[in-house]
This record gives sequence, C-alpha cells and structure tokens, in this order.
Amino acid sequence: MENALVEERPKKVLGRRRKFRSTRFLLHAIIILFIIVVLCPLLYTIKLSLQDIPSAYQGYLLPTHWTLDHYPYVLTELPTATRNLVNSIWVTIATVILVSAVSVIAGYALVHLPTPGKGLVLAFLVGTLFFPTRLLSLIGIYQVQKLLGLQNETYGLIFPYVSIGLALSVLIMRSVFEQISVEITEAAYVDGANSWYTLWHIMFPLVKNGLVVIIMVNFVVVWGEYLISMTLIDDMEKRTFPVVLTQVSVGQAQWSWPRLSAMYIVAILPGIVGFIISQRWYMKGLTEGAIKM
Amino acid sequence: MAATASRLQELQATRRRRERLTTLKNSINWLYLLPFVIFFVLWQAYPLFRVAYLSFTDYWYIRGDPPVFIGLENFANALVDPVVHDGLLRATIFTVMFLPGCILLPLAVAAMVDRVTQGRLATFYRIILLIPAMIPGPMVFVMWRTIYNYQIGPINEILVNILGWYSFGNAPQWLGGGTLTLPAMVVMENWWGLGYHTMFFLAGMATIPRDLYDAAKVDGANEWNTFWRVTVPRLRPMLLVMTVLRFGTAMAVIDEYLILGGLVRNTSTYTWTVYMWHLAFQLGDWAQGYAAAIGWIGAAAMLVIVAFLFWLFRNRD
Repeated sequence: MENALVEERPKKVLGRRRKFRSTRFLLHAIIILFIIVVLCPLLYTIKLSLQDIPSAYQGYLLPTHWTLDHYPYVLTELPTATRNLVNSIWVTIATVILVSAVSVIAGYALVHLPTPGKGLVLAFLVGTLFFPTRLLSLIGIYQVQKLLGLQNETYGLIFPYVSIGLALSVLIMRSVFEQISVEITEAAYVDGANSWYTLWHIMFPLVKNGLVVIIMVNFVVVWGEYLISMTLIDDMEKRTFPVVLTQVSVGQAQWSWPRLSAMYIVAILPGIVGFIISQRWYMKGLTEGAIKM
Repeated sequence: MAATASRLQELQATRRRRERLTTLKNSINWLYLLPFVIFFVLWQAYPLFRVAYLSFTDYWYIRGDPPVFIGLENFANALVDPVVHDGLLRATIFTVMFLPGCILLPLAVAAMVDRVTQGRLATFYRIILLIPAMIPGPMVFVMWRTIYNYQIGPINEILVNILGWYSFGNAPQWLGGGTLTLPAMVVMENWWGLGYHTMFFLAGMATIPRDLYDAAKVDGANEWNTFWRVTVPRLRPMLLVMTVLRFGTAMAVIDEYLILGGLVRNTSTYTWTVYMWHLAFQLGDWAQGYAAAIGWIGAAAMLVIVAFLFWLFRNRD
C-alpha cells in the first residue's frame, strides 16, 4: 500500500510538469511567430537594398549577387535627396527640442503650480485627442503660414510640427509629473527655491524617463510627417525627406527598387537604433504614467 | 449682535479679497503655459476657427477674392454630394475592418507576453514588437507599397513564382484603389500598431493584482476562463478608450489613402478626407470654403459615432 502511494506521487508531478512545459513551449512558439511576422517586411526591405538591380527585377526572392553599392550611391549621387534628408534632420531636431521644452514646463505648471484655469486647459487638451485636428486645421494652417511668410520655407514647418505633437506631449508630461509627490515641491519652497529653480534642478531629473518617451513619440511623428510638408512646401529642394520618398517615380533608373530600399533603410534606421539604445528609459517612462494616455 | 454680524461680513470680505489676490498672484504661473498657448492658439485653435468660418463662405483660394458669406449653402451642397456620401462610406468600411484586429490582436499578444516569466526574454519580445512603432507612418506605407507591388512585391512573387497560383497576367492587384486595397491597408495598419497597442494592454495587465489570478487558480479556473473572467473585465475601461480613440483616428486617416491609393474619384481609397484635401489644395481654384464644410461634416459624423460609442459602453453598474 505504502509503496504504491510513493510510486504514484512522482508520476503525477511529472505529468503536470510535462503539461506545463508543453503550454510554455506553445506560448513562446506563438509569440515568436508574431515576432517573425513583425520582422519579415523589414528584413525583406533590407534584403532588397543589398540586392543587385538585375536580380531584383527578375523575380528572385533571394538575390544572386549581394552588393553594398546602393548605399553610397543614394547618399552621394542623388543631390536633392541628400538635401531633403538634411532638411528633415534639422527640422526634426528643432521641433523635438522645442516640443520637449514647451511640454515639460507646461506639464509642471499644470500639476505642481496653482495655476488658475488649468481645468480648462486640460479639457482643450483631451478634446483635441478625440478630434481630427491635424486634418481639419490644414486649410487654416496654410493661411497662417502664408500670412506669417512661412509658407514654402523649410523652417516654417517647425511651427505646425510642434503643435501636432503638443497636446499629447503635454498630457504625457502631466501624468509623469503627477507621479512626483507634492512634498518634494513644498520642501524645495521651504528651502527658498523658486518655481523655476525647482523645475530644472529638482523636478527635471525625476521626469527624464517621461522625456525620453516624448522625444521618441515626437521624433516618429515629425521625422515621417508627410501631409503638412507636402501641402505647405512647393519647391523640390525645400521639401522634407518623406515627401520625396513617397513621390519619386519608382522603377526608373535612378530610383530603382534596391536604391529606393537603401534610401529607405537610411531613413528608418536612426529611429530604430535610437529606440533600442534608449529602450530602458523608454519602457520606464511608459510605466511611470505616460501610458495612462 | 449687529456688531458681530458686521464683523463677520468684514472677515469674509477680507478673505475674499485675499483669495482674489492669490488668484491674481498665481496667474503669473501662466508664464509657464505661455509657449504652449502660443503654439496651440496660432497653429491649432485659430486654424480650426478659420476653417469653421470659411465653411460658411464662398471662398476659392486661387482667385484671391475675400470670402463671401453664404450661410449654410456649402453644407447643403455637401450633404447631397454623392462623392461625400461615398467618401464617408469608404472611411467607415475601412474603420470597421480595421478596429477588431487593432484591439483583439494586441490583446491576445499582450496576454501571452504577460505570461512570459523570464525577464530578459520578456524585454526582448517587447523591444521587437515595438520596432514598427518607431517607424513613422508614411514610411511604413512606402515600405508596404513595395511589398504589395504588382510586379516586384514579394507577395505576388510568392503567389506567382513559388506557389504558381497566379500568372503575372492575373495576379491580385493590391494597390491603386481596387477592392483589395482597403483590406491590404488593414493588414498594414495592424502590423504597424500591433506592438504599440500591446504595450498599452501590458501596462494595463501589470496593474491587475496577482492575488486575483492565484484565487482563480485555486478555484480551478483554467487560463482561458481566467483571461475572460479576470483580465478582460479589469481592462474594460482601457478597451473602451482605445476603441473610441482608434475609431476616431481611423475615420480621419488620409496619408495612407494618398500613398497607397491615389486621387481617382471612383476608387475605394477616395474617402471624405482625400476629397477634402483634393478640393482644398489641388483641384481647380482650390474650393476651400466647400472643402471646409466637408471637413466639418466628416468630423461631426465622427464625433456623433464617438459619443454613441461612449453611450453604448457606459458603465451600467
């Protein structure tokens, strides 16, 4: 009797563990399947950018000849494309810096300062999230830009660009600032710090992760912005890169598919690399309240 | 007695005066909001008001004449314009096809990634899933335009050269506004949004107390039941906000229609958004007054459905 009991017990445990293992395996298998689906289009584009032109047009999924020539070619031989890439780079940098600064100080004032009428500001901010502002305001933005002499100027794009990401950025910053206890501000005031000093020396180090989220979100929006740029800028050499990328007549000699792919990889790589480098802070920023938006 | 009353009144008056003074003094904090207000007013609020005003006028940008007030004529014309009807219908078809995958797929993926116990592996999965979210929309569309390409795209290449189901004479036409373009766009959009939405649900799941799962396990519930009885009800507010938000954004997308479709009126990608943009910045003398009216009609239709969704999902407890 006793022996039978002893023998039975391990069997049961083993059975449960085996079942446990097979569900684990299935779990990872399904996740990995999704990951492959996510990566496939990207890997295909990378492959296309490394493929020589004839084999890309002969319907081979795998290239007969690998080549790196397309990368130097697109960066040196296509004058307006390089110009457009440079335009995009400085417009993006300027916009991201501006929008970060504006939303950090606004988020601070909305949470830690007694600002009269902040409920109204908040209502406007949330309202714009539910409203197709970017699309609907475009006609008006065109006229504002014309009025201010900013239409058909690359730097003129910075102002509407700051405003498209602004509502979301301020709201994200607001929920990040809400994670910081009021006592910290009060302690700073008791020590004689004013609100400006408190923001930059005491609060700022505490909201850095949220700032990383804002930088990434706005980088992605502005770096790829297409509609406003296409509508506001008429001259080819003043345009930003996404507009050129979408409008080149593909298939012709200069812009053959592998070359377009090489240009494309150049365009998307900074964002992906930047994300992988900053992912630790980004994920922390998301959990620190940014995700509540 | 009277003296006490007047004293009380005096005290209240001082307090009120002091409160008003504090409010006044606190108004200085608006300096922190000033940069935000400048950008918000000049490039969001004013343009919207301007568009609202133009929608009541006869205004053609190229002609250079000042807007002439014509009341509701633009709206009356737009409401009987068959292109507007088709445009709204097409946007709705896209949204209805897009929404289920945009909510359910990330929910399923999040439920699985949430079960991964090895920290490093879980982080790795998250990073890979988030990579598409780091590619700007228009660039995602350009990439998928290559993938859906009729001749060189890998999908048709597999269908023709490897599986041999089609020849290049009758291979599916994914782009250009045919019947396949909207479903093709739905696949692309779900690919793009998968990781981002998964992150939202993962954050939501992280707030669910573990005791609930343990209790469910003790009661003998399996994973499937636990997911539907514990996880989903806890995520309900988040699911609601996501559905409504994504509904709104999906109804008003335009970049993907312009990049993957084109500007041909009787194709499936010529939605109200494309029509509005086309009228305002491309066609003839730029009928911006009429385009503004179409924009407001589209936005209003969208807001009505958003309000309806909120009412539908309202908390009945």
